[in-house]
Amino acid sequence: MRHRNTYVPMSTRYFGARITRNEDPALLTGRGLFVDDVRLPAMAHAAVLRSPHAHARIRRIDARRAQAAPGVLAVFVHADLGPLGEPLPKLIPHPSLTYHKTQYALAPDKVRYVGEPVAFVVAESRYAAEDACDQVEVDYEPLPVAAMLEAAAAPGAPRVHDDMDSNVCAHYIQRVGNVEEAFARAPHRFRERFVIDRGASCPMETRGVVAAWDSRSRRLDVWDSTQAPIPIRNGLAEMFGLAEEDVRVIAPDVGGGFGPKVMMFYPEEVLVPLAAMRLGRPVKWIEDRREHLVATNQEREQIHDAEIAVDSDGRILGVRTVFLYDAGAYIPYGLIVPIVASTTLPGPYHIPNYHCEFRAVFTNKTMVSPYRGAGRPHGVFVMERLLDRVARELGLDRAEVRRRNFIQPDEFPYDVGLIYQDNAPLRYDSGNYPGCFDRALELIGYRDWPARQRAARDSGRWLGCGVACYVEGTGIGPYEGARVTVEPSGRVFVATGVGTQGQGHMTSFAQIAADALGVSPREVTVRTGDTGVFGWGTGTFASRAATVAGNAVALAAQAVADKSRTVAASLLEAPPDEIELAGGNAFVRGVPGRSMTLGALARTANPLRFTMPKEWEGPGLEAVRYFTPPQGTFSNGVHACVVEVDIETGQLTVERYAVVHDCGRVINPMILEGQIHGGVAQGLGGAFWEKLAYDDQAQPLSTTLMDYLLPTAAEMPPIEIEHMETPSPLNPLGVKGAGEAGVIPAAAVIAQAVDDALAPLGIQIAQTPLNPNLLWRLITEARRRS
Amino acid sequence: MKLEGTNTLPAPIETVWKTINDPEALRRCTPGLDELKEFEPDRYEATLRIGIAAVKGTYKGTLAITDKQAPSHCKLVLQGSGNSGFVRGEGVIDLEPQGDVTLVKWAGDLQVGGLIAGVGQRMLMGVGKMLIGQFFKCLEQQLGQGV
Repeated sequence: MRHRNTYVPMSTRYFGARITRNEDPALLTGRGLFVDDVRLPAMAHAAVLRSPHAHARIRRIDARRAQAAPGVLAVFVHADLGPLGEPLPKLIPHPSLTYHKTQYALAPDKVRYVGEPVAFVVAESRYAAEDACDQVEVDYEPLPVAAMLEAAAAPGAPRVHDDMDSNVCAHYIQRVGNVEEAFARAPHRFRERFVIDRGASCPMETRGVVAAWDSRSRRLDVWDSTQAPIPIRNGLAEMFGLAEEDVRVIAPDVGGGFGPKVMMFYPEEVLVPLAAMRLGRPVKWIEDRREHLVATNQEREQIHDAEIAVDSDGRILGVRTVFLYDAGAYIPYGLIVPIVASTTLPGPYHIPNYHCEFRAVFTNKTMVSPYRGAGRPHGVFVMERLLDRVARELGLDRAEVRRRNFIQPDEFPYDVGLIYQDNAPLRYDSGNYPGCFDRALELIGYRDWPARQRAARDSGRWLGCGVACYVEGTGIGPYEGARVTVEPSGRVFVATGVGTQGQGHMTSFAQIAADALGVSPREVTVRTGDTGVFGWGTGTFASRAATVAGNAVALAAQAVADKSRTVAASLLEAPPDEIELAGGNAFVRGVPGRSMTLGALARTANPLRFTMPKEWEGPGLEAVRYFTPPQGTFSNGVHACVVEVDIETGQLTVERYAVVHDCGRVINPMILEGQIHGGVAQGLGGAFWEKLAYDDQAQPLSTTLMDYLLPTAAEMPPIEIEHMETPSPLNPLGVKGAGEAGVIPAAAVIAQAVDDALAPLGIQIAQTPLNPNLLWRLITEARRRS
Repeated sequence: MKLEGTNTLPAPIETVWKTINDPEALRRCTPGLDELKEFEPDRYEATLRIGIAAVKGTYKGTLAITDKQAPSHCKLVLQGSGNSGFVRGEGVIDLEPQGDVTLVKWAGDLQVGGLIAGVGQRMLMGVGKMLIGQFFKCLEQQLGQGV
């Protein structure tokens, strides 16, 4: 890393500074608080009995032996759930989603994927609970299985849900221009089929829930490794008939979220509180890794039949994609992933005519909901692969093809003509796509690449270079809020509903508040993810925290700064606009001697007796503000890489990886780089190593980390990062989201680099993820042909 | 998972047929078969104890012998389930007389689910072949002694 961690002097802005993270001392010294660290007196432990069948009728469940097993406190099957035996809430409806199926907390009469919860055992220890799971007798009648996406979509396939005529639960089309006419007059049309397979998010911390019920105060406390504690709180209150104020959901430190933890409700999020209330004892359930690979939502499986029409210069006349989206057995999260895939596809390019159409299909596999990228990698993979085909067919340089199609910096706001996932128009707010592209080409040494590649080939090495572009929708609404308070100690307290799963909120939000109040970020305590501290908000997803909550923090901190000036003005006998805030003090501009500490102001603003000036509008130095963006804001970037393929083994080595990225104004470059590093690791994992394999009976075959290959530090290349800053005009801070940037084009850029490396063999990649076996097979077949 | 193969057993076809229809011989020769109780003609309750990769488990279920065409053809249908998942399989056995010995042609389709599928699938083919190999070796020995 070029930059050292430096503290910026007090007088300058913290926004934009590369400061170390407030949360790290605790996390790095083992003093974090994760759900599994919650240990309460008399706490019981739960285990889940899961279906070994992908599709089966439950003829009979007998839990009597399990109930009598040593240490067992309770065994729940569907019949024990009472009013909670209904299907779990539907999260995000859509007019095109005809069958919005959600799962049950425990399966009533039928299981629809391997891993579906069938019984819930609570015991004195996890050991006893797991042993008792084995004592639950379940008589299954196996049913025909809808395993593979395309077969499941075909007429006559085994049906996942009996009340449907087929497995297709949604069919949605969006169009721009006149695609048929564009294709009819185009001199060149190229058609491709792209297959994107399943992966898992694999956070270091799996899911987990602890619940405690106080029968005297009738309050329910829940610790949940979730990205959305407030909606969980609201839902639990409704399901259990409690006041929202009487349910507190805390997402403490969360060891990675990546999307699947924003799903709600997972069965355990209902079962653990239910058991705690029934037993009158705290209950803990922690997902183990094998459970995680079947019981936590997955992503990425889509099959695209895509087509592009171009003129003889390679300018895009039209694009069409018709694709299948594997929803798994239920679709609680609705159509977000396929909508994001189809609206990310156009990317930074002029596409005057566009047709995207998808069918969402039920299969007997684990549910699908957004995982970092959430459809964006699919759209980018399809678009970038189509452009690579155009370049190859027309004999044009792939960089030149892209350059000819870029939306230019003077064309913003640019209306793509589609409706985005936030139900608002897909309108790019700002960006400099050609500028970003040129920087990436320069970083990777694109101009000299042909010579370098030739030299390598002469020495028997198969090197390839890839470059791929994306536009990333981020910072969507509906809203987030923040409360900023100056404590009598002078410390600043920031509370927001948007939880953190490692993104550095305790620091980024502190930087924003620090600038407004003239204090050091070290003097700012940020609390997130605790409904007892801040109860309004939706969650951490879609790269939105910095934009939506960040601007709420800025607005609230600004309001507190104004209040501080008002209070200081009456005490220091100067007009409010003459009061400056810096170094933890309020002072009269040009007269630093006439000053008070912020802490003293806070104490003064909360008098115990007498009267209060009307213009203070209430006690304390505190304000709550909300930010409600009119639409999403659009980041963009370019990834470029150099890879080497070992044609004897099919192994791939990523030699260099460069990211040029524009997410508007940067709050903390170091945190941003961390986000990109992690994203690239997940992107490369999803491009080459990670594949959730299922057999033809939808039995998951990769349920350990021995079979599901996560990239390690050893596989990761050095990552070179450059930031460009085109501010967003849509929010006061000018920021855009960045959380998914590292993942999005990774599969596309790797595929292009592999094509480039293997060009003499005529190999073109049309699927992701790749793996050594697959590459070896493609190489061997190609060599046999030639 | 589909498995098939042929074995030659050192006995005439009638003897082989009798042996593979003899519960006691089956119990003795099927690796891991703890119990085999006939509860109606040609239908048995079975308890099987096998380890696949790191997953050792006990499976309770049924074994049925159907489509019998003595002395040359029958079909075996097996299903069992236990703590580590379930096993379902179908196998067809054809016997061909070859003088004093008998050629056994067998083909089967085995499905596993649950923990054994997730953890053991990579080893399943190898384990399956090994178990079947043990089965025929045992039969060979029995027939060798008996004749």
